[in-house]
Amino acid sequence: MHLDILVYGFIQSCALLLMAFGFSLVYGVSRLPNFAHGALYVLTGFVAWALFKQAGLPYPLAAGLSILISGLLGVAIYYVVLRRVRGMEVSEVIATYAIGLAVLEGLRYAGFRGGSYSLPALSDGVVFIFDVPVDHQRVWLVALGLFMVVAIWLFTRYTRVGRSLKGMAQDERAAMMLGIDSDRTAALAVGLGSMMAGIAALIIFPLGSLVVEEGYKVLIYAIAVCVVGGLGSWPGTVVASFVLGYSQYITVSYGKPHYQMVVMLLAIIVTLVIRPSGFFGKQKQLEERV
Amino acid sequence: MLEAREVMVFYENMLALNNISITCPDNGVIGVFGANSAGKSTLMYALSGIILDIQHKEKMRGGERITLFGQVLQDGEDITDLKAHLRARRGLVLCPERRRLFPESSVAENLAIGGHLATKSQAKETTEFVMEMFPALKALRSRAAGFLSGGEQQMVAIGRALMAQPTMLLLDEPLLGLAPSIQHIVVESIPQIRKERGISVIVTEQYARPVIPYVDYAYIMENGSTVMEGTREELLDNPDIKAAYFGC
Repeated sequence: MHLDILVYGFIQSCALLLMAFGFSLVYGVSRLPNFAHGALYVLTGFVAWALFKQAGLPYPLAAGLSILISGLLGVAIYYVVLRRVRGMEVSEVIATYAIGLAVLEGLRYAGFRGGSYSLPALSDGVVFIFDVPVDHQRVWLVALGLFMVVAIWLFTRYTRVGRSLKGMAQDERAAMMLGIDSDRTAALAVGLGSMMAGIAALIIFPLGSLVVEEGYKVLIYAIAVCVVGGLGSWPGTVVASFVLGYSQYITVSYGKPHYQMVVMLLAIIVTLVIRPSGFFGKQKQLEERV
Repeated sequence: MLEAREVMVFYENMLALNNISITCPDNGVIGVFGANSAGKSTLMYALSGIILDIQHKEKMRGGERITLFGQVLQDGEDITDLKAHLRARRGLVLCPERRRLFPESSVAENLAIGGHLATKSQAKETTEFVMEMFPALKALRSRAAGFLSGGEQQMVAIGRALMAQPTMLLLDEPLLGLAPSIQHIVVESIPQIRKERGISVIVTEQYARPVIPYVDYAYIMENGSTVMEGTREELLDNPDIKAAYFGC
């Protein structure tokens, strides 16, 4: 096995994990498929760019503010739109997709076109992992991807709010019977999911340029990871990120770069045909037992 | 004290609850008995506020129209329009029919999620109480709730409801599908909860015999209406009721 496949496949997997984890969190907790996820990802990048380049704020402050804005926007989207359509699957998809489309096309309409926008890397330099050169930004990406998984695991296991998210994810009505506020918890999940999209954007965008079209790509990647892993399953999201990340990297190594998208679309189709519940379709069986 | 006054629930044009009035005093145990479709679970949903969530969701998705009339009062205060999670915060906690556990979570985690409203010390103390009441759960702490037997799941469901620090516990058909030996353990928990925690209990069942020794007062429901009510002794003295619900 080529070592570069091992190393860069791992990096690609962590990038997918970062892109998809917010989407998975929101769906897992509130059963809302947030099709505006990709738009929030791109929007955070442009907000950070505007605060840094236009408003002249120091980059750490601009990055922090843009993530916060993304989270607040997610909460606002929940209270203004999603709360009213919750439980109506088609309306949820249409509403969130429309919001995403409005944001992305709005950015394009506002003049953010082409590849002339970029965000700075967290640090410059190269390290060698198994003799494979890796730039610092990609090391940050891996560290943040793994940190996010551990942080969410600890958060849902050891904090009151985290446990309420976990309860809601499994049975909303049972959670309500125990005093958990369904709306507040779902809004929190959408806010957290949006912030995760924002964090992913700020760590991944410095590897290339800031383009609106990334929003559509990220949405499809996130959906692919969640469908393959099992919608709403957090362990499934982690496993699927690695399976698809390595598949993508191997395909690109021996094929062409645009096959990346083909891998993701094929993964969605094959999963839906062979095993619609994804890798971790366990929850359904358990629900039936209960 | 919990009081339902002239509660009526319509699912479209079907009358699910017809002018139901029941009262549960502080530290009392009240039974509500009736066959399938008598309206017991709808009554529990109305008392716990879950019916408001069902009504809202049905309305938003253009589904079944649910209409509610009457009042629910807790300690004299009208809580008819209060959402379920806010009623739980006031101590009114439902342990629903068919348990509705968090299937992927372990027994310990189900209890921990149930303790959302409890302080750290309350959660610790209540967990100890639950483990003492249902010793079988001690060895199952780390087992996923979805893989437990029906009886074990019911014990977890009652324990989880107690973690929410109720003052009034609504037990909806806790014996459903349980073997007689397990029924005995679950039923025995009712007087223990009342005595040691000072919690009032409203319990519904189809078959009243296992539960009747522990209730102070009971209501018999048929087709959404209360057809009879009385103390345990009064109901046991009625030969028709005795034959239909107490199997003796």
